[in-house]
Amino acid sequence: MDSWTLLLEGFATALQPQYLVFAFLGVLVGTAVGVLPGIGPAMTVALLLPLTYTLDPTAALITFAGIYYGGMYGGSTTSILLNTPGESASIVTAIEGNKMAKMGRGAAALATAAIGSFVAGTIATVGLTLLAPVLAQFAVNLGPADYVALIVIAFITVGALIGSSVPRGMLSLGVGLFLGLVGTDTLTAQQRYTLGLLPLSDGIDIVLVAVGLFAVGETLYIAARLRHGGIDVIPVTRGWRSWMTKSDWKRSWKPWLRGTAIGFPIGTIPAGGADVATFLSYATERKLSRHKSEFGRGAIEGVAGPESANNAAAAGVLVPLLTLGLPTTATAAIILVAFQAYGLQPGPQLFQNQPALVWALVASLYVGNVILIILNLPLVGMWVKLLQIPRPYLYAGILLFAAFGAYALNFAVVDILILAIIGVLGYFMRRYGYPVAPLVVGMILGPMGEEYLRKALQLSQGDLTTLFVQPFAATAYIVLALLVAGGLWLRRRQRRYEQALTASIAVPIRTDSEV
Amino acid sequence: METPILGVSGRAEATRPDPRVPLGELVFALLMLALGVFALVGVFTIHVPVGVKAGPTVFPLFVSIILLGSAVAVLVNVLRGKRAEVEEGEDIDPDAKTDWLTIAKIVGAVVAHLLLIDIVGCAPAATVLFGVVAWALGATRWWLAFVIGLVVSLVIQVVFAGLMGLSLPWGPALGWLGEVF
Repeated sequence: MDSWTLLLEGFATALQPQYLVFAFLGVLVGTAVGVLPGIGPAMTVALLLPLTYTLDPTAALITFAGIYYGGMYGGSTTSILLNTPGESASIVTAIEGNKMAKMGRGAAALATAAIGSFVAGTIATVGLTLLAPVLAQFAVNLGPADYVALIVIAFITVGALIGSSVPRGMLSLGVGLFLGLVGTDTLTAQQRYTLGLLPLSDGIDIVLVAVGLFAVGETLYIAARLRHGGIDVIPVTRGWRSWMTKSDWKRSWKPWLRGTAIGFPIGTIPAGGADVATFLSYATERKLSRHKSEFGRGAIEGVAGPESANNAAAAGVLVPLLTLGLPTTATAAIILVAFQAYGLQPGPQLFQNQPALVWALVASLYVGNVILIILNLPLVGMWVKLLQIPRPYLYAGILLFAAFGAYALNFAVVDILILAIIGVLGYFMRRYGYPVAPLVVGMILGPMGEEYLRKALQLSQGDLTTLFVQPFAATAYIVLALLVAGGLWLRRRQRRYEQALTASIAVPIRTDSEV
Repeated sequence: METPILGVSGRAEATRPDPRVPLGELVFALLMLALGVFALVGVFTIHVPVGVKAGPTVFPLFVSIILLGSAVAVLVNVLRGKRAEVEEGEDIDPDAKTDWLTIAKIVGAVVAHLLLIDIVGCAPAATVLFGVVAWALGATRWWLAFVIGLVVSLVIQVVFAGLMGLSLPWGPALGWLGEVF
């Protein structure tokens, strides 16, 4: 088959020594930064964007593949070993993994998470390899109106399904779309919303917005209510050779596979990201387990399943990103920024014009997964040390990197000012419960959406019905309605489920005032 | 832009004397509404070249509608008592009150950094940023924060400016080091 030849060629590139080094560095840095508390995958990728200023495209994308998988995995170590509730995406892993660690089974929890991530990541990457060329082939024939439909799907699902409140998500999306408008219109060279200011006439750089929201805004948000005092890391006692017992393996392998089966499809459709996948996997494992009473008290299935689902979803997200150019999560949006830094536009054309690059990237996902498991099993001691970094230095370092990344963009001081302003906006958005991911997705997809919309309207001589009458576009809007309805229903169930779970095991995952 | 903010927040205070009125949340939502109004008014100031179909105003109009519609929906929600659900994090103390002074110090440090960078160079300005932020967040030994900051920023400067050739200014104090590369 043709794509297999291309994949083999991709491996030939990715396995060259210098690219192996980049893959290794990417996984190492991605995991290290992902392990650091308070830094999610989106912030990891955003903070490391300055790498794109200096590397060649293949090296940079291979590094980012490593960073992406490493950052996705790193969070689970944090939630298992740190004695404080974790971020929402890993909340269910936090319950079981944290309990296991407290019982002295932290090593087993880390091992099942690592091996599960490897299994899920590899199977999902196979899925990506099979699915992506087919989708890209199909997408070649889509017209502007069809793309408008796809982008509207991305807008509405990201706005409505990420975060806890639909209007707040849509408002965040709107702000992102607005920021994307600022600057000079590419088709007619008209200034829009620049207030006559010169630095704004080229538009606001998406890197500044991503780093400002995820690094500066997040740091301010944490700084305002920083947990002072000692850092409570649960020690991992046993050596890594005796990590998982026979019964641990027996209880883990099915959840790994089920988690993959749940995570990958959910990752490929825009349904709210890995969050939903981990929840569904947890609920499934709890229902199927023969050790129901252990759930909430450290059941290994409750780590193995959701952790695999999380990683499989991460690979699934790459399918629409690579084949259609549609990011469905904040992390994917920032990876798209990395592509655009090189003038590359993911989508069907990329598969046709740059097959070597695309397949080297896919091959490096396999390689990255192998490196990830080789690194993670023996290096846990190092990750534990990272968890103990004094927080003042950690957050000072994040700000230092953010400011460096902003300045190095154009070597202009005004960029740091824009970074600071976006950071303050990000702080208030977080403080008042607005998700920031839709803003980033809106800002990056807005200009693309506008281009397709105007193309479609020009073709139809301004007739708006052109957007709905073509069979593909019409189907897409029906799918959109189903996605949103299904997504919101799942979200409601998840919230109830988590509340019931919290109550039943009496763990203060959320503070009392919130429940 | 300012009239709607003053007008409606005044009304909010008048109709709801309850001290638990989420004033900040309301003000933020109103600012977003103002942004929507600004975007909509801005649509009519964009010049459309003659004879252009589907010109530069089509999409801004669409964006303005999203902004205005969702801002109104958020406002209605807040006024009906649906408060924001905020995220928790590993390093966040759920019982702590917002520490505005620390935020001011950190923002101040970033502003100082951007003012200093062209005068004293990248690494010294970054040292100040790191040191002040670490101190603001309660680093036990403030001088150690500056030492660590200096080491980190020197490493960045040498790797990215020295070895990879990004034109980060070395500044008067480190100019001699820049000439090494």
